[in-house]
Amino acid sequence: MPPPDQPPNQPAVEIDQVSYTYPATGFDSAPTPALNAVNFNIPQNTKLGILGPNGGGKSTLIKLILGILKPTTGTIKVLGCSPAQARQQGLIGYLPQRIEADLDWPISVNETVALARTCKLKPWQRLSKADHAAIDRAIDLVEIQDLVHRPIGTLSGGQLQRAMIARAIATNPKLLVLDEPTVGVDIAGQQRFGKLIDTLHQELDLTVILVSHDMRAIAATADRVACLSRTLHFHDAPQGLTPAVLAQVFAHDVAGVFGDIHIDAHLADDCDDPTHAHQHQHDCGCSNSGGDA
Amino acid sequence: MNNLTPAILAALIISVMGGSLSIFVVLKRLAFIGQGISHAAFGGVGIALVLGVHGVTTASSIGQLTIVVAFSILAALWIAALSRAHHGRIDTAIGVVLSASMALGFVLFTLAESKHDHDEHGHAVQGHEDQHHLIEEILFGNILDTDWTKASIAILVALAITAITWLNRRRFIFWAFDEPVTDAYGLNAARTTNTFLILLSLAIVMAMQIAGVVLAAAMLVLPGAAALNLTAKLRPAFIYSIVLAVAGAAIGLTIGLQSDLPVGPTIVLTQSILYLITLITRSIAIRS
Repeated sequence: MPPPDQPPNQPAVEIDQVSYTYPATGFDSAPTPALNAVNFNIPQNTKLGILGPNGGGKSTLIKLILGILKPTTGTIKVLGCSPAQARQQGLIGYLPQRIEADLDWPISVNETVALARTCKLKPWQRLSKADHAAIDRAIDLVEIQDLVHRPIGTLSGGQLQRAMIARAIATNPKLLVLDEPTVGVDIAGQQRFGKLIDTLHQELDLTVILVSHDMRAIAATADRVACLSRTLHFHDAPQGLTPAVLAQVFAHDVAGVFGDIHIDAHLADDCDDPTHAHQHQHDCGCSNSGGDA
Repeated sequence: MNNLTPAILAALIISVMGGSLSIFVVLKRLAFIGQGISHAAFGGVGIALVLGVHGVTTASSIGQLTIVVAFSILAALWIAALSRAHHGRIDTAIGVVLSASMALGFVLFTLAESKHDHDEHGHAVQGHEDQHHLIEEILFGNILDTDWTKASIAILVALAITAITWLNRRRFIFWAFDEPVTDAYGLNAARTTNTFLILLSLAIVMAMQIAGVVLAAAMLVLPGAAALNLTAKLRPAFIYSIVLAVAGAAIGLTIGLQSDLPVGPTIVLTQSILYLITLITRSIAIRS
């Protein structure tokens, strides 16, 4: 098993020809293909936004990266390990789409963050100095120092999200996976969230994967964008995310939504060819023009 | 009258076990699954009776207990599997398993009864009353009949359940608080669920020794519910839960023995009253 300290040229995530099909769940249901031949690497220390429509396979891809699902075909490696190994070693931090924790629990913010480390202890062990340091650092980074003694159920939505991010980074992960973190958040909130993630990215040398159907959320947080609809269409090219590309990914015309994005006519034509798009990983795609604006 | 020491000791230690599991049962909303398991155990008792394994000798006590425990664990895991198949609708799963097991139990009781009630000429012999008494014991418990053999088994199992719960406390806390993410933190959610359900099944069968099929789950719900009325912190909640469980058992035993009332229901009634007192205490504390 490779050690947690990875060589810098090791990709954070290597996805090789990965397909996933959900098995049938009942008499009148058929197996549902969710991902088809996804093939890409995520370099370390990047902030990748994965953009795609609802039902495009974003959550499935996350579950595969976390090792909760196993690919039907293909392989995934996280920092050179299998996803399950990486998770066991605390290399992956994860913020789910909906926080489903039971907020009626008699548990403080501090205890909630500490769960990330207490759950790894042997029954007779107590948290070490290093554990406490990691927990305190996570709390400081997301700036919830003033809330640590509050019961978890008394936090506002934004505060709760910060607490859950603190829990996700308390294991000192190398990869942070965020699933639709800013659903229902206004633009100012998305910008604040983007700044927070940027801080974590720099302070902790984190690779960040942000999954969203919302271009603005991606723009506020990521420095690279991939587009996912069953298969990965475009990844990590500098020319700009074109309305034609988006129209293809979302299967309808979204040009009006992103008026300020540069259109490259040639690339847009190329991306309009769906057979081509489904065969290969394109590099006619998208970089984030929204950036840290 | 029998020697009551083993019964009293067993009752108190089973309450410690009930108190320690109860916080999880309440917070993870497993009260109804507890009911499902205890009623399923009735089917297990029916099977043991039909097989002729029921507690007269030490071996048959252990045999009966093993069959009931096995049946309860299967029922618990079946409930979990069914609820996954019904997209998390655990009430449907419990409804199915509870009714099927109760029905099976009553059918098997009648079979066992007809087997034992007639001599070789087909004439009815005495035993109806015994049988009804037995059903009443199974439904509402009869801890006072407990001898040292039964008590030792109950005490050992209850202590083991308490110890295993303590050893797994951190895993259970994370799982019960936020199950959807536990897999992402390297804890296996499905395995944790199954471990807890097996412990819960064993605990329910132990609580049945005191309170019977109908009331056993109450001993795994009331103390935790009462404790959570008194505190919003985790560690005190566990301590209060165990203290309230033991207090309820001790007071219930005393009242039951002194006034010749059925002990199991008296204990559950006492724990209910303690719950009510904590509820009133909380509402007064919130207002002031």
